Amino acid sequence: MKIVFRIVLLAALAALGVWLWTVLFPNPENVVRKRLAELARTVSSSPNESDLARLASARSVAGFFAANVELNVDLPELGRRNSMDREEITQAALMGRSRAGGLQVKFPDINITVAPDKQSAVADLTVEANVSGEHDSMVREMKFTLRKTDGQWLITRVETVRTLS
Amino acid sequence: MPSQETVGQSKIRPEQPPRPGWLRIILIGRNPKVTLVRVAVLIITSFVVFKFILLPARIEGISMLPTYQDRSVNFVNRFAYHWHEPRRGDVVGIRLAGPHVMYMKRIIGLPGETVAFVNGRVLINGEVLDEPYEKSPCDWNCPPVKLGPDEYFVVGDNRTMPSENHVFGKAGRDRIIGKALL
Repeated sequence: MKIVFRIVLLAALAALGVWLWTVLFPNPENVVRKRLAELARTVSSSPNESDLARLASARSVAGFFAANVELNVDLPELGRRNSMDREEITQAALMGRSRAGGLQVKFPDINITVAPDKQSAVADLTVEANVSGEHDSMVREMKFTLRKTDGQWLITRVETVRTLS
Repeated sequence: MPSQETVGQSKIRPEQPPRPGWLRIILIGRNPKVTLVRVAVLIITSFVVFKFILLPARIEGISMLPTYQDRSVNFVNRFAYHWHEPRRGDVVGIRLAGPHVMYMKRIIGLPGETVAFVNGRVLINGEVLDEPYEKSPCDWNCPPVKLGPDEYFVVGDNRTMPSENHVFGKAGRDRIIGKALL
């Protein structure tokens, strides 16, 4: 009985050690995944959002991006731009939220490739957006390039992927 | 001959456990251990089947009308192309970044072929393709597209909508997840 108790205690300690290790030294892939999930939550909005909350959320969205983001997208909402700074991202997010009313954004599939130096990563993901009151959801495949800057993973490049060419 | 009981010898019967009620029999069966094993097997089998073999899919949108209605449910068989490659006319699931969201389209062009739309008719290597699943005429015109060795041309069945509003084109073999079951 004593041996069994010791084995159980040892297993619990090992599990605690592994958990602590993942908390103190998180895997970059998991960090990027969490960051993108947080972005999806921040981009989403409820239909009865106040102006102040809308502005705060739009600013938060911009915080996920680098100071200057390279764009290669065929989204009519963004026009033909090659880059955007944070202020432009805030404005675009604000405009999108005002127009959409309520918006639910999800990334149901995310494939992350972290560079060997663990300072940059590429995320190939599916974006699913549901606008309140609209029947069909918008689905796109996109690719985000992220770079670790001052300990934070920021999006430096956004491109749309043509699933069917 | 007197019976055993009449001479004072009572029969010894083994004590039987109380019979479970009908509600318990319905809910957990006569033998709870066997029921538990059955439930576990059912859960594991369902998990394996619906996670790795038959992917449940809810169709959203009208691009596959009239074959598949908006909001209908189907399954994508991931093992369908284990023994042979996709065939013309197959309705397949095409993944985006992963298998949780897919396009449901029909294969009309095979690797190496040239596909074009002329006045709503599909031309494969210059010859008209017979499409019995097409119920409504359309007026699509698309220039010829040459498919690579690993590419398939896929399109929805509903071609009554303008071609600009319809997602169709070349799909790499690695994007085809499986064949629609129903």
